[in-house]
Amino acid sequence: MATERRFPFASEVKLPRELEGWEEMYAPQRLFSKDREEWDNNHIWFADKIHAPEPLYPLDDIFQEAWQIALSQNNTRVFCIPPAQGIAQRILGCYMYITPVEPPSQATIGEKAALFGKRVPYVFQNYDMLWGKWLQKFQALGKEMESLEVVKELVKYVPDDEVIPLVKGYTQSYDVIASFNILINMIFKSWQWHFEYLNLAYAAYLMFADAARKLFPGIKESTIGKMVAGADVAMFRPEEELCRLSRLAIAERPVANTLKKDIPAEEKIKELKSTEGGRKWLEELERVKDPWFSVSCGSGWFHYEGSWVNKMNVPFTYMQSYVQRLEKGETIERSLTAISEERERIVDEYRKLIKSEDDRKSFDDAFGIVRTIYRYAEDHIFWVEHWLHTIWFKKVREFGKLLADNKILKKVDDIFLFNRFEVPMLLEDLVTTWALGEGVPSRSKFWMEKAEKREKILEAARKWMAPPALGIPPEEIVEPFTIMLWGVTSAQIDEWIKGTGAEKDVTEIKGFASSAGVAEGPARVLKLLEDIVTLKEGEIMVAPTTNPSWAPVFTKIKAAVTDIGGLTSHAAIVSREYGLPSVTGTGVATSVIKTGDIIKVDGTTGIVIIVKRAKGK
Amino acid sequence: MPEKWIYWLKELGQENSTIVGKKCANLGEMMKGGFNVPSGYALSVEAYKRFMNETEATERLLKYLVSFKADPNNVSDTLKYDKASQDIREMVESIKMPSDMEKTVKEYYLELCRIAGRENIYVATRSAGPVSHPGQYETYLNVSGSEDVVKNVTRVWSSTFNTRSIIARAKLGLPLHYDPIGVAVLTMVDAKAAGVMFTVNPVNGDESKVVIEGSFGLGEAVVSGNVTPDRYLVDKVTLEIEERVISDKGSEYAYNPKTKEMEYKELPPDQRKLPCLEDREILELTKISKKVETHFGCPQDIEYSISRSLPFPENIFLVQARPESVWGKKKKESVLGKKTGLELLFEKAFTPTKVKI
Repeated sequence: MATERRFPFASEVKLPRELEGWEEMYAPQRLFSKDREEWDNNHIWFADKIHAPEPLYPLDDIFQEAWQIALSQNNTRVFCIPPAQGIAQRILGCYMYITPVEPPSQATIGEKAALFGKRVPYVFQNYDMLWGKWLQKFQALGKEMESLEVVKELVKYVPDDEVIPLVKGYTQSYDVIASFNILINMIFKSWQWHFEYLNLAYAAYLMFADAARKLFPGIKESTIGKMVAGADVAMFRPEEELCRLSRLAIAERPVANTLKKDIPAEEKIKELKSTEGGRKWLEELERVKDPWFSVSCGSGWFHYEGSWVNKMNVPFTYMQSYVQRLEKGETIERSLTAISEERERIVDEYRKLIKSEDDRKSFDDAFGIVRTIYRYAEDHIFWVEHWLHTIWFKKVREFGKLLADNKILKKVDDIFLFNRFEVPMLLEDLVTTWALGEGVPSRSKFWMEKAEKREKILEAARKWMAPPALGIPPEEIVEPFTIMLWGVTSAQIDEWIKGTGAEKDVTEIKGFASSAGVAEGPARVLKLLEDIVTLKEGEIMVAPTTNPSWAPVFTKIKAAVTDIGGLTSHAAIVSREYGLPSVTGTGVATSVIKTGDIIKVDGTTGIVIIVKRAKGK
Repeated sequence: MPEKWIYWLKELGQENSTIVGKKCANLGEMMKGGFNVPSGYALSVEAYKRFMNETEATERLLKYLVSFKADPNNVSDTLKYDKASQDIREMVESIKMPSDMEKTVKEYYLELCRIAGRENIYVATRSAGPVSHPGQYETYLNVSGSEDVVKNVTRVWSSTFNTRSIIARAKLGLPLHYDPIGVAVLTMVDAKAAGVMFTVNPVNGDESKVVIEGSFGLGEAVVSGNVTPDRYLVDKVTLEIEERVISDKGSEYAYNPKTKEMEYKELPPDQRKLPCLEDREILELTKISKKVETHFGCPQDIEYSISRSLPFPENIFLVQARPESVWGKKKKESVLGKKTGLELLFEKAFTPTKVKI
C-alpha cells in the first residue's frame, strides 16, 4: 500500500502539556470536534499565518469569526461566484487553521451563475458610486463606534434627574450590558462591509492575470501585480503625513532639533509645547491624527500591536530618522507620480506587444475592470483593519478599565483573555454585584485566576511549533482566495509535507518570487510586531507576514521575506511599490532564519539562501 | 560602365539584398539604424559573376562537368559528389581574381586597416546569399593581410561548390557550375563572449521576452551547437533578468596563433561554469535587440559579439540579424477570443481556479 500523502489529523496532534485547557478559551463551534471529525479529517487545513501568525487571544478571535462569515457569504449567497464556496476555520492549540470548502452541486452552480451574471456587472458598472457610498457609511460607523458611551464609573446612587421628574427605569447595569452588545454588533457589521467588494476585486485580479498569461505565457505574477497596484491608496497616507510633518519640522529648526533627540515621544511633545513653532507644529499633527494616525503598528488584527495614536514613540521614531535623512539632503518621499508613471509605462509597453487588434481591445477592457475595482483591495485595509480597529481596541479597553477598576480583572488588557461570549458574563457579574448592594462577593478571584492561566497557556503556545497543515490534501483546490491570498500551491504543500524537522540544516528556502531583484544582508526576524523598533538600516526583514502599515519600515530594509502570503498579499504589493526584492509564502522563514544570519533574497526566483549563520547559533 | 560590384556596408540597406545578399544588406541596414556593427565591405553577386565569367573558371568547370554523372537522390553517389567538389574547389581556388578586382579588394581592406588604425587587422570573410541558406556556405575567420583576404574571398566563392551545395542544386535541377553569392568582409571582433539572441521566447512564443544565449569566445561555438551556452531570459518591459542558466561550457572557439587556425580550446575547469556575460551586458543586449526588432518590424534572431578590448557599451557588436523563423511567421490570431473584460470575468468565475495538489 502506498503511503498516504497527508498531514496529521487534528486529533493526532500532540499538544504540549502546558497548553492544557486551551479549548475553553474559544467558542465550541470554533474547534475541531469529535462530532464533525469525518468532515474535518477529509479536508486540508492550513495554519493561517496571515490572519493569525500568533496564538489567538480569545477576544481578538472576533475578527476571525467575522471574516469566516463575511468572506464566505459573498462567494455563496451574495455575488454567488458559481463554483466557489466559503473558507472554514478551526482552532487548534490556539492557532487558527482554515480550509477551502469544495464546489457545490451542479444545480447550485447553475443557480448561482444566473445571479452572478445579474449582480456582478452592475457592481463593476457602478463601482465609483458604490465606493463613495461605502466610504460614507463606513466612516459613519466608525464615528458611531467612537461616540459609543461606555460607563466609566458605577455610581453609588443614580442621580436625581434619573428619577425626578420622570423615572428612567433602567440604570448603568443595563448600559454596561447593552453598550458591549452594541459594540459587538458594530464590529460584526464592519466586517460584513469589509468584504463588500473584496471577493469581486480578487476575482477581477484573477481574470486579468489569466488574460495576461494567455497573451504573454511567461509573464511574471510580480509584473501583473505591478500593472494592477495603485500608488494613490489610503494605506500610504499615514506615511505621507509623516514625511510632510518631517518637512515642516525642517522648516522650523527648533522643532527639527527636538524631533532628532533620543528621548521618548512624550517628552518631545512636552518640549514642543514650550515654543511657539512647536505648538504650531503640534496643531498640524493634531489635525491629521484622525484618521491618519489611527494606523496599527502591526496588521491591526491584535490588541497588543497598538496604533500610532497610542504608541506615539513609533511615528516619532520614524520622524526622527526622516528628519535626519532630510538634513543629509536625502529625499524621504516615494514619488507617487513616478510609481504611477512606471505602472502606466509597463502596461503601455506590454499593450504594444500585443499583435492582434482584438486582443488589444480585450486587454484594455480587462485592465479597465481590474483597475476600477482593485483599489478596493488596497483601500479597505486602512479603513477597516487600521482606523476602525484602532477605535474598537480603544472602546474594548474602556470596558477593560471598568472591570479592572472594579477588581473583576487585574489589568485592563486582561479583557482580551475572554472571548466575546464570555465578556458579557464578566460584565453581568460586575453589574449584578453592584446591584446587590454592599458586602456581596463577585467571582473576581475565579476570573483573575482564569486570566492568569490563559496568559500562561498562550505563552506556551507561542513556543510551540504548530504543524503547517492538517488533514488530507485534495487533488486540487478551487477556492480563489486560498490560492491568491494565502498562496497555497502544490509546491507549497510539498514543502510543508517535507516537514518541519531538520530546520537547523536548511540553507535554502523557497517561496513566491513576489518582487524582483536580489539583495544580501543580515536578517532581522520580526516575530512580534513590536520588534520593529530593533530593526536597523540595511537589514532584511523576515516576518510571519508583512503588511502595508509597516510602510516606513520599507525605507530602511533591503528586502522582505515572509512565511505566508501570495503574490498579492499586502507584503508583496508594498515591496513592489518600494522596488525591494521580496520572497513571500516561504512557510518557514521565521523559524529557519535567525536574526543576524546573512541571507540572500532573490525576488526573481523566489529563493532565499542562508549564506552564513549568525555566530553562536 | 561596368556594374558596381563592391560596397561599403554603410552604403547598403535592406533593399539591396538581391545585389549583395541578405547578410550584407541587413548589416548595412543595421548600420543605418545606428547599431554597432563591425566595419566591413561587401562583394556583390556581380563580383562572383565577374570572377566566374572573366576568368577561365566557368569554362573549366563546364568542361569538367561534362563527364560527371551522379544521382543526387542516391546516397551511395555522395562519394562521387565529394570527389567532384574537391576537384572543382581546387580548380576555382587556383584561379586568380581579375587584377582590377584584386586591386580593389585589397584597397578596401587597407582602408579598413586605416580606419582601425592598425595594420593587418583580422577580418572574417563570410558568404552572403540572396536567398538564405544558413550554414550551407563557408565562412573564414581571422583572415589577416590583403593577400589572404583575396585568397579567402575566392574560398568563399568556391564554397558554393561544397558537396552539400552541389547536391542541393542537383536535387532542384539547378545548374551545378554557377550559384552567385555575395561575400562580406567584416572586421573581426576580438570576442570574449558571443552568441545569439531572440526577441521572442522561442519556447512559447512569448513576445514580451528576449532570450540570450552566449558562450566564451566566438559566436560560432553557439551557432554550431558545439557548446551548451549560458541562457538568459529577460523581460522586455521591466528589463528584469528572469531566468539565468549558467552551463558548463567546456571549450571556447578561438584563434590559435601557433597553428593560425580557429579551434576549440578547452576552458580551465574553474572557468567553464562562470557566466559569460555581465548583467549590464545582458541588459544592454536586451535594449539593443528591442531596437532591432522595432527597426525591422518583426521578431528577430540576432547574432552578437562582445569585444574584449573595448569598454562597455562600445564593446557590443551585432554581426547578424534576421527574422525569427518559427514565431515570426505565425499569423497572430486572437488568443482572448474577442471577449470583453466582463466576458473574461465570467469565464474566469465560471471556471474553477484550480491548484493541483
